[in-house]
Amino acid sequence: MTKADTRRFFVLGTLLCTVAFIVLTVDSHRTVVAREHSRALGDDVRRGLRVWGVYNCENCHTLLGEGSYYAPDLTQIVAQRGVPYLQAFLADPSAFYSEEEHRRLMPTLGLSAQEIDDAIAFLGWVGGIDTLGWPPRPIRVSGMPTRLPGTETASAASDPVTQGRQVFDATGCGACHSLEPGVMLVGPSLAGIARRAEERVQDAAYTGSAQDAEGYLRESIFEPSAFLAPPAGKHGTADGLSYMPGIYTNTLDPQAADELVAYLLTLQ
Amino acid sequence: MTFETQRIAYFYFLAAVLLFALQVVFGLLSLAKYLGPDPLLGVMHFATTKAVHTNLLLVWCLTGFMGAAYYMVPDESRTEIYSPKLAYLQLGLWLTIGVVTIVGYLFGITEGRKLLEMPFPLKLGVVVVMGMFLFNILMTIRKANRWTTTEAVLIGGLASAALLFIPALLHFDNYTLDRYYRWWVVHLWVEGVWMLILAAMLAFLLIRLSGADREVMEKWLYVIVGLTFISGILGTGHHYYWIGVPRYWLFAGGFFSALEPLALFAMAVYAYNMLRRSGVSHPNTVALHWTIGSAVFSAIGGGILGFAHTWPQVNQWTHGTHITTMHGHMAFFGAYAMINLAIITYALPGCTGRSDENAQSRLGIWAFWLMVSGMFGMTMALAAAGITQTYLERILGFGYLETQRMIQVHYLMWLTTGVIFATGVGAFVWNFARAGLPVRTVAESAASGPSAAARVGAV
Ligand code: HEC
Ligand code: HEC
Ligand code: HEM
Ligand code: HEM
Ligand SMILES: [Fe+2]
Repeated sequence: MTKADTRRFFVLGTLLCTVAFIVLTVDSHRTVVAREHSRALGDDVRRGLRVWGVYNCENCHTLLGEGSYYAPDLTQIVAQRGVPYLQAFLADPSAFYSEEEHRRLMPTLGLSAQEIDDAIAFLGWVGGIDTLGWPPRPIRVSGMPTRLPGTETASAASDPVTQGRQVFDATGCGACHSLEPGVMLVGPSLAGIARRAEERVQDAAYTGSAQDAEGYLRESIFEPSAFLAPPAGKHGTADGLSYMPGIYTNTLDPQAADELVAYLLTLQ
Repeated sequence: MTFETQRIAYFYFLAAVLLFALQVVFGLLSLAKYLGPDPLLGVMHFATTKAVHTNLLLVWCLTGFMGAAYYMVPDESRTEIYSPKLAYLQLGLWLTIGVVTIVGYLFGITEGRKLLEMPFPLKLGVVVVMGMFLFNILMTIRKANRWTTTEAVLIGGLASAALLFIPALLHFDNYTLDRYYRWWVVHLWVEGVWMLILAAMLAFLLIRLSGADREVMEKWLYVIVGLTFISGILGTGHHYYWIGVPRYWLFAGGFFSALEPLALFAMAVYAYNMLRRSGVSHPNTVALHWTIGSAVFSAIGGGILGFAHTWPQVNQWTHGTHITTMHGHMAFFGAYAMINLAIITYALPGCTGRSDENAQSRLGIWAFWLMVSGMFGMTMALAAAGITQTYLERILGFGYLETQRMIQVHYLMWLTTGVIFATGVGAFVWNFARAGLPVRTVAESAASGPSAAARVGAV
């Protein structure tokens, strides 16, 4: 092999790979732009990307797993938290987290209400990108594992309670609700919720329209703001609206909802 | 130093070394925030210090590369630099842009696109400076009317780096496209065209430090850069797995990026063989340490640790954890910091006319081993942090914040080893300062310049 041979190897190899790369780029670019027709890029989403840049969010957070590792990944955050909660959080993160507890805190960046809405629109849009299944399991800001892998038993797979537990995990309820007694995430712990639901509907302070524990759970899930569960305090509500997203009427099919409620009813 | 204008390189190196030290200060500052709580939260939060850390890294590495070019091109083309004035003007502009950028970050002025945070007008400034630089170098070569393969690869790398900076100027509203083209700069730099710069600097140093035959060296140089591009260009796909582009990138990115280590291993084998076959023919042992160190560390940090998380099946779990930080640190240090430190220690004695003390100084060797062991320790600490984080957060499903609390101990390890590393940087800076200012004339340095003695004729 002479120097001229190796030079030819370099030139030809580079040329071929560059051409292949450009072909794939043209195809990818076109595919991505074509997808914009079904998921329009609103002005708020465009402005939101700028907010994301100007406030340097990416040098603390990851998004689609890219960025910095000082703060949680936000790819699925809008689906996990819902808009009202995020609005409240972005206006004042220190109302929700403390440096004493977690050793770090998101600084109050002074976003305007408009910027907050734009940022959330942007994050919501990113959450809808087809990431080929990434992340394989949900990444959550805070909380304990809802279930350790490998602990499911095959015989229970058809049991509605087991199924309900899976719905709970898959829907991301665990992002806001712990199953440990007394652990407050964004919402109250759901340990003992079956018993509490029973008590709630009988309580004079209850203002919702459910008659029994099951009805209460359904109401909590589908109309979170019908009754605001104490002691949610500043953690759970703003202006009479629950931070719990009101999206489940659309996202949970009736069978999944039944299973979820059946599961919650076992949490004595 | 054989040519008067090689002295220009000294000033580039001086700037590079100082910015390197500052980079490490900001690294430690960022890490302190990981340990928390952060008393500076309202003044200078993590996003600011981290962006300063990574941007200084890019700036000082590029400063070093340009210095290296001003040193290498006269040697290779056997002529003086076309316009020294332009070279100094360029350095002044470059540093002004750098300082304005960093000060801007401290006041929160940023575009916030990871590694490309610099505001748009300053990016244009970078393009201008790169243009001035390339003009000066190309005119030099034209004037001499002779060039070597080594220098062609170096200039090719620098020119392509400038060209690939253009995607950084574009703006996309679609986040997927924003990501897609960001990697044209970041990935195609560090795993593409910068590798040409690395390979050329390595070849230059090996030719000078060993008795290696130039013809053989340059033959293999083409193999290395060929492997780099064949794997690295389509290897960009390892950053495209989850950003919303078609599925074929899983295959293309996985396959080609898995070949990328070949180029890095080839470089290490090349350095080893050249030295074994031809022996060391140069008294500058400090530079020799850095040269071999760079070949080894880039093969481990880039080749092995990059390969470790490049398959989609692995990357889906490790993506965006400290596994990335681990790899990023060792690869960047091994490939681009160490090769710069190698050329700096190689050129310094000649430039300052104090060859012997500096070329073999104990302090210089200490700086090497402190940095190497510090970086090795940091890599281990980050590997432990990254694996634990992946397992707890991504597989078991602990929340991000809970996981961070559980890996605090690894941050303490990172801090300990980081301090060792920083001590090495201190030693390096002190050793650099001890060498004094550059001599005025070639004659002054010739008396002591070993670089002249070991010269092997240019093609
Ligand atoms: C963004 C956070 C969030 C998510 C996600 C969320 N919740 Fe809630 N949830 C809350 C908050 C805050 C409250 C307390 C205020 C209220 O009553 O709505 C609450 C209340 C409840 C209650 C009533 C608790 C009580 O003590 O009476 C139930 C039951 C409940 N959620 C179930 C669920 C289920 C099931 C899911 C998943 C399908 C879910 N939540 C998802 C925030 C959330
Ligand atoms: C200095 C680092 C930093 C910057 C900059 C930053 N964040 Fe955060 N962010 C955090 C941390 C840390 C958390 C975790 C919660 C906490 O401790 O405050 C967080 C949490 C969040 C959450 C999740 C809150 C929850 O409870 O679900 C959202 C949403 C968020 N940040 C959005 C943003 C946006 C949008 C920006 C830019 C406008 C931004 N962040 C900039 C550090 C940062
Ligand atoms: C004492 C030494 C150092 C310390 C304490 C340190 C600390 C840090 C910290 C805290 C981060 C931010 C990680 C994040 O994104 O959350 C970081 C990022 C980074 N640092 Fe350092 N650093 C040091 C030295 C270096 C050196 C010498 C280099 C290269 C030569 C380097 C290259 C990088 C790179 C490339 C990143 C971005 C990594 C990524 O995004 O994955 N650092 N460093
Ligand atoms: C020596 C050259 C290399 C350097 C300097 C380098 C540096 C880096 C840096 C700084 C990042 C973080 C980038 C960001 O998030 O913005 C990164 C990511 C990555 N690198 Fe490298 N790298 C090198 C070689 C390689 C090689 C050879 C491979 C594969 C075999 C590789 C695989 C990866 C992967 C898969 C990621 C993405 C990590 C994630 O998913 O979070 N790298 N590299
Ligand atoms: Fe890459």
